[in-house]
Parts: sequence; structure tokens; C-alpha cells
Amino acid sequence: MTDDSEPPAGGAPDPASGTAAPVTAPRAVVVLAKGHLHPAVLLLRLLDALRQAAFPVLLGAVFQPWFLVLAAVLFLLQLGYAVARYLTLEYTLTADELRVREGILERQERRIPLDRIQDLGFESTILRRALGLVVVMVETASGRGVEARLDALSRADADHLREVLLAARRDRTSAPASAADGEHAAAASPPPPEPEWIVHRSTSGELLLRGVTDLRLSAFVVTGFAALQLADQLGIATRMLGIAGDFQQWLGRLSPVVLVLLLASLLLSVIAFGVVTATIGNLVQFHGFTLALRGQVLQRRFGLLTTRQKTLPRARIQRVTVEQPWLRRLLGFAVVKADSAGGSRQQGEDTSGGWDVVVPLTRLAAADALLPALIPGIEQQAFGWQRGSRRLILRTALQGVVLAALAVPAFWAAWGPWALLALVLVPVWALLGVLAWQNLGFALGGPFLALRHGIVGRYLAYVPTAKVQAVVVRQSPFAQLLGLADLTVYVAGGSPTRLPDLTLGDAKRLALEIAEHAAVAAAADW
Amino acid sequence: MQPAATPRPHERLQRRVVLYWLLADGLSSLVVSALAWFVGRPLLAKYWEAWSPTWENVLLGACLGLVALAVLTPPLAYARWRFGFLGDLLLMRYGILFVEERAVPVRRMQHVDLVRGPIERLFGLATLVVFTAGNEGSAFRVPGLAASRAQELRDFIVEARGDGRL
Repeated sequence: MTDDSEPPAGGAPDPASGTAAPVTAPRAVVVLAKGHLHPAVLLLRLLDALRQAAFPVLLGAVFQPWFLVLAAVLFLLQLGYAVARYLTLEYTLTADELRVREGILERQERRIPLDRIQDLGFESTILRRALGLVVVMVETASGRGVEARLDALSRADADHLREVLLAARRDRTSAPASAADGEHAAAASPPPPEPEWIVHRSTSGELLLRGVTDLRLSAFVVTGFAALQLADQLGIATRMLGIAGDFQQWLGRLSPVVLVLLLASLLLSVIAFGVVTATIGNLVQFHGFTLALRGQVLQRRFGLLTTRQKTLPRARIQRVTVEQPWLRRLLGFAVVKADSAGGSRQQGEDTSGGWDVVVPLTRLAAADALLPALIPGIEQQAFGWQRGSRRLILRTALQGVVLAALAVPAFWAAWGPWALLALVLVPVWALLGVLAWQNLGFALGGPFLALRHGIVGRYLAYVPTAKVQAVVVRQSPFAQLLGLADLTVYVAGGSPTRLPDLTLGDAKRLALEIAEHAAVAAAADW
Repeated sequence: MQPAATPRPHERLQRRVVLYWLLADGLSSLVVSALAWFVGRPLLAKYWEAWSPTWENVLLGACLGLVALAVLTPPLAYARWRFGFLGDLLLMRYGILFVEERAVPVRRMQHVDLVRGPIERLFGLATLVVFTAGNEGSAFRVPGLAASRAQELRDFIVEARGDGRL
């Protein structure tokens, strides 16, 4: 019994909140929103069940009739479960918490305090979109990601839920809890939505470029390996080996020039295939990407087939990174990402669905210009960039020497003097050291720590020192020899931020400074 | 290498933690190497065709290395370990090959645990574990504390966090 007719931006206040308003008890539970899943979910589940039943039915029709019975039983069970779940699931939003109740045999009530809600994400596949449905995902900082998943609400209900939630949280943060009880009656009805400021809207050109520059060699390897496995399973592998043998003989008869050209064109076509698929993937995933700011909350909307909406309160941002892999750096473009508590990812890797991407791709200058929208106050800081120690170059060169010293004797037995080629490792490692040193930099600007690193690409990270959970200075045996140290800064979300190869003195001074900033901020939070 | 002018933690662990580590960690490697030598070696010699004196030496070396490592690490770890409070910060410094210095603001700690294993209890030792928010590297341990000192530290942290004034 969802009221589909309700306007999206919460025009009519929920009837429940109207009746609860006059209650003057100190802990009056004000129900701000309440609802069930949308009935059209049943259609989705029916389709799911039909799809899953298709295979057993096919088996039954062809081989064994009793598969048909199995299919029918499974189908009915699934449908019954879906209906029961639809009938029992109920969500309630009060001024303090979001309650999701569900279950047939064992009832379960999940209560999520509003303070703990990190994010409210919307996702809508093409089928759900046609039915006007949205999957609502509630994320907390537990690190488990999605804490509750409402699949699916009508778009109007979902919008209403979000508006009310944001408004309730705003109230909680602005008014102290004790004084707010009286005013809650007035605040219970959703206030008019705040004006929206579009921070960034991706052009198709940008998205196209993102796809074209999305060169991930690992993807090729993975697809190649998967294809090989498939071929093996289908028994093609042995036949292919035979073909490969013939092919090799044929290749041997070709002139070297033709051979090189052939191989080059083969390589190019593989790369082209990768680029084309990456481009299409990016265009589909990030189509119409819009980053907007409403009050203190950032909102992202994107997607062509599956549309996604994701809110990110500015106060929850733990780190902002501006990433430029080599090709994008060459072209002067950058990706902006933000980590919030709860999300976790490795350097340079997108989480599924691109949840942490704030700007898919834009010019570096534009990326820098929109940073204040993500972490306000950063525009007032003048970052006095400091370099890491030059001994970094020495360290990498020494590593090259050690590697070469290991490689030469190891290969000598097999290759003889050719093993001396491994000595190339020394200058290559030294060069990497020079590049790394040139890109390495750090700056402590008031309440922000900025870090720059990279070898061919370049990665910038901004961490509000108030969000720092712990600071670690680490020295490897090599680093102890050279008086170097790594500094790692831990925040509640995302991977730790690492500043490699500072001098020991710098690292310790910086670590203490950051830790003291964090301690002061933590004391203020309390 | 200029001397760092930053304050260092200076409280040490209990000396008997060396014995505890020897027993708790050393014992297991002793058992493993004894098993490998006295049970594994005859079996290998019997059923593995490629078995040769060279392999025997390799196995012996590995076993001795394991035992040596188990004997050497506790005193070295003890010698490096320092911890202490600097205002609102808990500082730790430890490591044998890789030296680490950690600073955790007391008020960022989500909760504090006191862990006492059976052998630890025998030695009257306790481990203080503090957790901060976040997924990676969010637990920090201070091992080898006297039980009373560990409780003191826990109470200090709880006090400084302000949990007492509910």
C-alpha cells in the first residue's frame, strides 16, 4: 500500500507525523516516513523465478519429466518467498533511526541510527526504471558496505525517504538534542529542499576520453586467461595447438618484415578492442554524470542502462584524490575520487559501480577548481610543497644493484655472458628513483595534509587532518641505512595514505604534527 | 642523519615477556622443526626417490634457522619496544627489521581490549589492544604489560576518552 501519487520532493507530510506532532512526551517517536516495497517488485521476482525455472523446464522437456515437478516446486517456493517478503517488509524512518522490519518465520528488525548512516545510494536497472522502481541502499561506516537494501521502492517513495532523512540529519546536527524536542514537531514535516548547485557535469567528450585512456593491461590478461580456459574446457585447446603449429611453420616462411608487421597489427587490434570495450563501458556506466551540491550534501547521478544516485555528505569525506595515470597526465586530464568511511579500495582501482568516483574525468585545472566544493576551506590554504629526500634515488638504485647482483649469477649458468644484460636493472631502477623523487611531495596546509606521488602517472591526495585515526612512521632495513622513513596516515575509510621516503626527521616531525592536529580535532568532536 | 628533536616514548615492556614469547612462539617452531627432522626426514628418505644428502642439509639448515629465529626474535623485539603517552597521543615504537612508530589519538580509539591468554596469565602479563575506526590497520597492540599496568593504561584511556562521565 504505497502511495505512488505522492509528489517526489515530499510535498504532503506523512499522515503519521501529523498525528504524532502534538505529543509532548520527552521521547516522542515521530514517524517521518513509513512504507513498503512497491508492488511491481512482485513482477520482477516473477521474471526472476521464470528465468531460473527455464533451465529445469528445458531439462524436463528433453530428458526427465520429473525435472518439471522440481521446476514447479522451486518456482512456487520462490514466488511464495517473494510475496511473503513483499507483504512483511516495512521500513520506518523516525527522527533518530531507520527501522527495517522483515521476515516470515523469523522476524528481523534492523535499526540503523541516523548518525551512523553514511550514504544513501539509489540504483535502478533498466527494467526497474521502466517500472518506476529504485533500489535503495543504506550504507554505514561498518566497512561492510551496504547495511540494508530495499529492493525496490517507487521512485517517489525513495525520493521522499531521502529528503526526509537528509532533513532529519540536518536538524540533528544543527540543534542540540535536548533543546530540539520541542521544535521537532515543526521539523517533522520535510522542509523545502535546498537549492541545488551543479558542481560538475561530465560532457560526452570527457567520458569518451575516459574510455579511450582507460588502458588496463590487467583486463587483457584476465580476458585472455578466461578465453584460454574456456577453449580448454571446450576441447579446442589441443586442436588450437595443432593449428598453432601449422601457423608457426607458415610464419617461418614469411619474411621478417611481414612478420613484424603482422604481429604489430595483431597487437594493435587487441589494444583497439580493449579501448573500444572500455569506451563503451565507460559511456554506459557514467552517462550523464552530474555532481551536485545541496546544502552540505554532495549528490552524484549517472548511468545509461542502470542509473545510480549516490549522496555523500561533505562532512564524511575522509580523503580526496586527484588521479592521473600516465596517459591521462600526458593529456592533462584527471579523475577525482573521494573516500568516505565504509568504502575501501586500493590505489588506482575503481570499486564496482564507480561509487567513489566524484568526477570521471576532467581537465586538471577544472579538477583543482572544484576541490573546495568537496573539502571546503582548502581554497584558503597555501600549500608550501616540500620535496622528499634525494636519498630516495640512492635507495632505488641500491635496490637495482641488489636485484642485478642476484640476477646475474642466477642467469649465468643458463645464458653465459648474456646474463650481464641484467645489469641494465641498475640504471633503470635509478631512473625510476629519479622519476619517483620528482613526483614526490607533501605539504601540511592548516587542517589539510596534501600528498603528491607517482612515477609516470601522478596522484594527489588531500586528507583533512581532523579525520586522521592514526599515524605510523616505518623504516625498512634499507631505509634505516639511509636515514629514510615512510609515513602512513590512516583514516576511517579507504586505503591508508602513504608518503614514502621522507628523511627520518621530516617523517617524525610531520607525524607528530598530524597526530596532534588529529588529537585536537578529536577532542573538539567529543 | 640529523637527530630527530621529536619526543620518544620511553616506557618498556616487562622483562619477562621475552620468556613468554620464547615459550609461546618459540615452542611452536621448536615443535615444527622437531617434527620435520625426526618424522619428516625418515619419511622423505624412504618414499622420495630424489632424496639426497644435499636435501638433508637443506632441511637441517631450515630447521636450525627456524629455531635460531625463534630464539633470537624475542630479545630483539623486547629491546626495541617502547610505548608511552604524549598528551592525548599513544605512542608506540617497535620492530626488528622494520622499525615502526605509531601515534594514535586517544579520543580516536573506538574501544579498548585487555587480552590475557592462558600462558600470558601464567606470566602475569596482559596485552592492550586499541581499535580505531577504519578497515585496514585499525587495531594496535601493546603486548607484555604487567596486568596491573595494563589495567591502569586502560583506565587512563577510558578516562581520557571521557567515557566515565556518562
